[in-house]
Amino acid sequence: MSKHHRRKQRFKLRSFYVWHRYMGVTAALFTLIIAITGILLNHTDEFKFSDSHIQSDWILDWYGIKAPEQLLSFPVGERHITLMGDDLYLDRKEIGDDYHDLTGALQLGDMLVVSVNNNILLLTPRGEIIERLKRNDGVPAGIEQIGIDAEGKLAVRTLHEIYQPDRDFLRWQRLDNRNDRIRWATPVTLEPQLKKLLQNHYRGEVLPVERVLLDLHSGRFFGKAGPWIFDVAAALLILLSLTGTWIWLKRRR
Amino acid sequence: MLRILFLTFLLAAASAPLLARGTYQEPGDFLADSFNDQVPDPAIVWITGERKQRVREILGHDYPSLRIRYWRKEGRSAWILEEIGKDHPITVGVVIQNGQLERIKVLVFRESRGWEVRHPFFTDQFEGARLNNDGTLNKAIDGISGATLSVRALKKIAALALYLDSVTVK
Repeated sequence: MSKHHRRKQRFKLRSFYVWHRYMGVTAALFTLIIAITGILLNHTDEFKFSDSHIQSDWILDWYGIKAPEQLLSFPVGERHITLMGDDLYLDRKEIGDDYHDLTGALQLGDMLVVSVNNNILLLTPRGEIIERLKRNDGVPAGIEQIGIDAEGKLAVRTLHEIYQPDRDFLRWQRLDNRNDRIRWATPVTLEPQLKKLLQNHYRGEVLPVERVLLDLHSGRFFGKAGPWIFDVAAALLILLSLTGTWIWLKRRR
Repeated sequence: MLRILFLTFLLAAASAPLLARGTYQEPGDFLADSFNDQVPDPAIVWITGERKQRVREILGHDYPSLRIRYWRKEGRSAWILEEIGKDHPITVGVVIQNGQLERIKVLVFRESRGWEVRHPFFTDQFEGARLNNDGTLNKAIDGISGATLSVRALKKIAALALYLDSVTVK
């Protein structure tokens, strides 16, 4: 082998080595992301990533997750029952389950009465569910408003009638003479501080950690170009393994 | 022809969980059936204090409400209870006679799998069951593969109904 040829071979090897190095540095960041998220995703159940949710404002903003601007809120004593999306809150405490159609809430003695989902929800002052009264339990259909009469008893207004339950909410009867002295529950505007707190709480329940890990792993977290960039990184890793092997073989000779 | 058969099979397989969900009997109809159309007035039992503790032992968690209504007449009581199978509550009607389970029926099933528990071949096993002191049933109930969580939910509901009957019987 001539001297010229050996020099050419050395140059070629060095050139390969430089390329190998640059490719390695470029792929390192992606390798780290893919490896770390891969390890974490392998242990989703142990770490409960599907049940825990992202609280970080900038990540939630990045995903475009917004809390509803319009909240429906009724005062109950000095507190508020609020419906936001399908979540129901007593002040800041969430009452579990999915809800819709909040038509009223009020305090009745030491009990809170909420008209939601076309049911009557009875709560303790601490927000524990006493009972969820449905149509089968005699609750009138199509409740539009709830209120308290002059004697402090609950009254429920449907489109055409007004009904009242007995003391234990076991039996309901129609009120024949309409009582004009019923104080109907009316919605109020929620104070900005509580509204902000509820909106943050709402946003913090939407995005599971597992979703973000999956998106980081696949590159989708970085937008539409993300998967393509990660494809390039994967191709670089393939090339790295080839060039690395090739350099190692050449050096051995 | 084969393609049509294959597509039909695929469609049937995909829609099975949707078909499984649903109301098999309205709670009001279950009560009417259980009391020969003469349903007594409901009564309520509060799940507080010692009862709350016992209910927690039976279910492994608190019941989702603090009071439960029931119907009692001539030594028989009927209960409409709910327990989550995997993700959603299963509504079940139970009739107890003299401290012994007479009838259990799945009324509303909301889960995507495990609906086999609604069939009489499974629910009939509960007939005659009583409650042990440790809050379990005195009868062995055979499970159904693929419906473990629903089976567990029904066993808990049966035990809960037997317990509530025992604390409300006069």
